[in-house]
Amino acid sequence: MTATGTEGGDQAILPEAPAPARRRAWWRALLRDRAAAPAMLLLAAIVLAAILAPWIAPHDPSANSRAVMQPPAWTERGTWEYLLGTDSQGRDILSRVLYGTRLTLLIGLVAVGIGGIVGSALGLLSAMYRRIDPWIMRLNDMMLSFPAILLGLALVAVAGTGVLPVIVALGIASIPDCARIARSIGIGVMGQEYIEAGRAVGLSDLAIFRRYLLRNSISSIMIFLSLRFGQIILIGAALSFLGLGAQAPASELGMMAAQGRDTLLFAPHIATIPSVVIFVIVLCANITGDALRDVLDPRLQT
Amino acid sequence: MTALLRTEGLTKHFPVRRGTLRRQAGTVQAVTDVSFQLEANETLAIVGESGCGKSTLGRALLRLHEPSGGKVWLKDMDITALNRQGLREARKHMQIIFQDPFGSLNPRMTVRETLSEPLLLHGLATSATVRAEADRLIDLCGLARWHAERYPHEFSGGQRQRVGIARALATRPMLIVCDEPVSALDVSVQAQIVNLLQDLQRELGMAYVFISHDLAVVRHIARKVAVMYLGRIVEEATTEALFTAPRHPYTRMLIDSAPRPDPAALRHKASAKGGTPSALAMPSGCAFHPRCVLADDRCRAIRPELRQVGQSRVACHFAEAAISDNVVPIKADSPALMRRLAVLEQARAGQK
Repeated sequence: MTATGTEGGDQAILPEAPAPARRRAWWRALLRDRAAAPAMLLLAAIVLAAILAPWIAPHDPSANSRAVMQPPAWTERGTWEYLLGTDSQGRDILSRVLYGTRLTLLIGLVAVGIGGIVGSALGLLSAMYRRIDPWIMRLNDMMLSFPAILLGLALVAVAGTGVLPVIVALGIASIPDCARIARSIGIGVMGQEYIEAGRAVGLSDLAIFRRYLLRNSISSIMIFLSLRFGQIILIGAALSFLGLGAQAPASELGMMAAQGRDTLLFAPHIATIPSVVIFVIVLCANITGDALRDVLDPRLQT
Repeated sequence: MTALLRTEGLTKHFPVRRGTLRRQAGTVQAVTDVSFQLEANETLAIVGESGCGKSTLGRALLRLHEPSGGKVWLKDMDITALNRQGLREARKHMQIIFQDPFGSLNPRMTVRETLSEPLLLHGLATSATVRAEADRLIDLCGLARWHAERYPHEFSGGQRQRVGIARALATRPMLIVCDEPVSALDVSVQAQIVNLLQDLQRELGMAYVFISHDLAVVRHIARKVAVMYLGRIVEEATTEALFTAPRHPYTRMLIDSAPRPDPAALRHKASAKGGTPSALAMPSGCAFHPRCVLADDRCRAIRPELRQVGQSRVACHFAEAAISDNVVPIKADSPALMRRLAVLEQARAGQK
């Protein structure tokens, strides 16, 4: 069979027209983004450093020393022995930051993962099946009215202190927020005509969910999660500050910031350095998330 | 031989719910008691003002909206009696082309994915042959092969509509509901798409239910026309009969109100007045009576049934007397209509 009805106009549809070059690969576009490229590289460096902590840390992160509250190397009284100085117990801050970042990233990622997966599933399901929507959302409202810190305290009271209960608490606490966002995004997508087109083709609910609803919602949900990642790290730090999360010899950025608070006036670097690292991680995560959305969403490409 | 598509008393009413308790506050009578027949290889156009229930009718035919009453048969298959699974399988035989080519394609699927989906779903291709099958559809609808790996946002409106058509054709349906397929496109592209639809019908022999408010396009493509007003068919006739001798005052109004190039040109005596009443609060008797120049007490009290008048079916108490003295005879071919027709014909001739 031959092409029909092509000759009317629109030369772009003539079969002889050569195919224009494919657009750049998405990661190339990402690297060209002036804000995202440095943010991603920095984030990658931080993640890599955290992973490699046992090999690159100059000192044992929990070993005390006589050099208490040493300022960083670039200040007057600093030494190159302790690049970022030491804390009030004479522990090397650089090593503690490397190990602490590890734990902080782990808490953030796992909690966001739990909250993101369960929350999006609930939200998208209630967008798709409007009959169960009121039930899921009322349940959601109940969870929403329960503060994350309180949930953390309750879990720790039951399961004992440690990182795991904190992760679980933060994950559960992220579910309702994420479900709300996913639901409103999902309702927008379900109202689109292409959903009806999918039904007209005869697709099953599962196919509609996966190929239509999920694919069109996921990027917006990811942006929310990348912002949520920052919040989780901060709440995790608050829980550590309350003595619920990471326990004494282990280091966690939030815990370090909390410990440094006592000596903020004499040795500000102890609280400042881990806080700056938290700030940088959260900022980079947000910028990267935003850039990823721009690059991955085909509608925003030119 | 049974008709390809037959409906009997097809009805779709939407409940209107209000307040926190979602109490039913009223009913929108979008489509009421619609019956018609359509043969294979034929086109039935459905025309009417916006809000008259054309699109709802199209969707109710395919059970994209669950009808509230009545029956639909496709060949010998009772569509309205199918269960979920049966309906999904039956979708192979009936497809739809949407009005909005921007909204009706999944923005996250390439054209190839969009076209492969129905092929694989209904077992018309295997993973080995799906590539060739999709290419065949692309050729058929006048797209280029390299378009296949593109996303919908990379296309113009006309190209997207071709993708929409290709998707509808993928399952080799017997029936395609075209829901205003060209109204979102500009005139020259409209002509291409209309001609493409006609060529495909000639080649593949499916029936179209062509929903439109554009009389020029309807006149060009359809053999039969049904005019809808507030959810009911008020006149059904062959295209020729309808345009040369419209029997329902509403049909006359529609033809008469087609846009004209020179607004200063003398208008006929207004054949209707006012806007469409709400489908929530139907007028008594004939739904058209508040706007009709012919209306009398009988129209206000008794709703005229759709009945055979000559070659047409008309729902008007005055249908028999329609071409009599008390009606201003209207010139069916307004200049605008003729101009639009000429554009379509030209595009057609240019193709040959």
